[in-house]
Amino acid sequence: MVIDQYRFRRLLFDSLNFAFVVMVALILFQAPEEEQILRDMKFYALLWGGLMVIGALISELFLKFRIVTLGELTFSPPSRKHLRSQHNLFYTFWGWQFIISLILTLWIGCLITKADLWELLDERGIRGAIHLFYALFDPNWQILPQAIVNVIVTIFMAFIATAFAIPVAFILSFFCAKNIMKHPVAFVIYLTLRTLFNFIRSIEALIWAIIFSVWVGIGPFAGMMALMIHSIASLAKQYSEMVESVGEGPIEGVQSTGASFLQTIWFAIVPQVILPYISFTVYRWDTNVRMATIIGFVGGGGIGTMLIKYQGQAMWNEVGTIVIVIAVVVWAMDQASALIRDALK
Amino acid sequence: MGESGVTVDSSKVILSIKNLVKTYPNGVQALKGVSFDVREGEFLVIIGLSGSGKSTLLRCLNRLHDPTSGSILFDHGKEDIAQVKGAGVRRIRQQIGMIFQHFNLVPRFSVLKNVLLGRLAYTPIWKSLLGWFSEADRKKAIEHLSLVGIAEKAHLRADNLSGGQQQRVAIARVLSQNPKIILADEPVASLDPATCHTVMEYLKKVNEELKITIVCNLHFLSLVRQYATRVIALKEGEIIYEGSPQDIDEQWFARIYGEGAKEVHVN
Repeated sequence: MVIDQYRFRRLLFDSLNFAFVVMVALILFQAPEEEQILRDMKFYALLWGGLMVIGALISELFLKFRIVTLGELTFSPPSRKHLRSQHNLFYTFWGWQFIISLILTLWIGCLITKADLWELLDERGIRGAIHLFYALFDPNWQILPQAIVNVIVTIFMAFIATAFAIPVAFILSFFCAKNIMKHPVAFVIYLTLRTLFNFIRSIEALIWAIIFSVWVGIGPFAGMMALMIHSIASLAKQYSEMVESVGEGPIEGVQSTGASFLQTIWFAIVPQVILPYISFTVYRWDTNVRMATIIGFVGGGGIGTMLIKYQGQAMWNEVGTIVIVIAVVVWAMDQASALIRDALK
Repeated sequence: MGESGVTVDSSKVILSIKNLVKTYPNGVQALKGVSFDVREGEFLVIIGLSGSGKSTLLRCLNRLHDPTSGSILFDHGKEDIAQVKGAGVRRIRQQIGMIFQHFNLVPRFSVLKNVLLGRLAYTPIWKSLLGWFSEADRKKAIEHLSLVGIAEKAHLRADNLSGGQQQRVAIARVLSQNPKIILADEPVASLDPATCHTVMEYLKKVNEELKITIVCNLHFLSLVRQYATRVIALKEGEIIYEGSPQDIDEQWFARIYGEGAKEVHVN
């Protein structure tokens, strides 16, 4: 039996799906307490493993009898596409597999998130919310100057983070572009950088802000560093994807004149990517302003830190002022960046 | 076989290709031991079906592709193009210019700037990155644009030009390299028949007036008869004909292009 990528993906999908469906059905039926689940975690883990093996076996068996499972439907190799029938959803196995999985997921999902309509309509709760809304819409304008000063700090945090990230990401983007890094040594650099950037991006800027607030102390500098690290990784990825999609023609054309490696990048690749680069960068600044606000919550400085301070004291009129200032700035940044990006098309 | 019996004055040989083999990483053998000479000042045309190895052959001559084995002797045997590395490759490309089927201009640059790209190998890197090309280079670039009849378009963006005009810009670019040889890979294949002759006429002019050797891949036999001084035919990575364009009769035509092929004329 050959395990190619199609078979692997199908088996993984179908066995995960089978284990999930059976497990959810079991939990819904038994309705165990949380402590019970925690105590019997080993049992559940073993059960899950066993179910996955059974699921994989079922998937193989069904394929033999030409019954299309959801995994087969999604990951079938090009040579087997014809097995997909044109039948109505309700006449197929995968259709029912999908429907049952979806219903069970929604059901258990509501249980887990404790979604409760009655809680939402509770009279006392609603009164509290109305009181809060009243306060929010009755902002305390006395703190407006302070809010404006803080939002300026936030905007500059985002600006400096973006500005410092641009040159670093620009240079690194060429090292993360597959079409340039063909040489074996270069390919290793490419893979290393890609992995590093994926790692950095997979950690939220919020977490970076916590790390840097310990490192350099609470304040705008920590927030700026967090945004910068995150921006470098994001921009380098977006930039390098642009580099990978450039036309080969101009590259060959410039190379054929005897141009060096640097000259080829500068004259054949850069002119093709410069507009999308600017577009991504403007959007990144816009995103960074929004992220800088949130980062303030964990000690990144600026308007976010101010907001969390008043929120902690339940001073809702002051929070209202701050929310309005944030909304205006985010809206303005969003409009401006959309206009700029539109003009660059 | 054509002129094979005629002895060639070896001092007139500008490129000497011996047993050139190119195997791609996927195992396709594009060239299976090709040997021929390119003589100074000639207009050598290479014909053959798509996939016969013409493009690969040309790209090996300026090392856009690396040959698998064999030699390409240049400059009276002083240099083997197949062996050079790094800066040597760039020096070879500087002397052996190329024009392409799809022109390969930088679309966002002006016509003039595209022509100046031909000077990259002559310009120090830091100067070129700042866009500082010498006044002499600029003057020469305009001259070359005049030569191909589009000096008045110098400040337009390259992608605003028609296909034929873009190919003329490409010729001006290759001229500003001051090359000894120009390789032309299907230079008229993406042009309409009328424009096709304009571009071929300019290549002929470059060949005859500036005495630059031309090695050109072509599809249409009628063009070959009109412009080539000598012809090589490739089939499945091997040379099956070498000689004068006038000697390609119907039998040769059938051998090169396969039985059942029909000659099409471009007027």
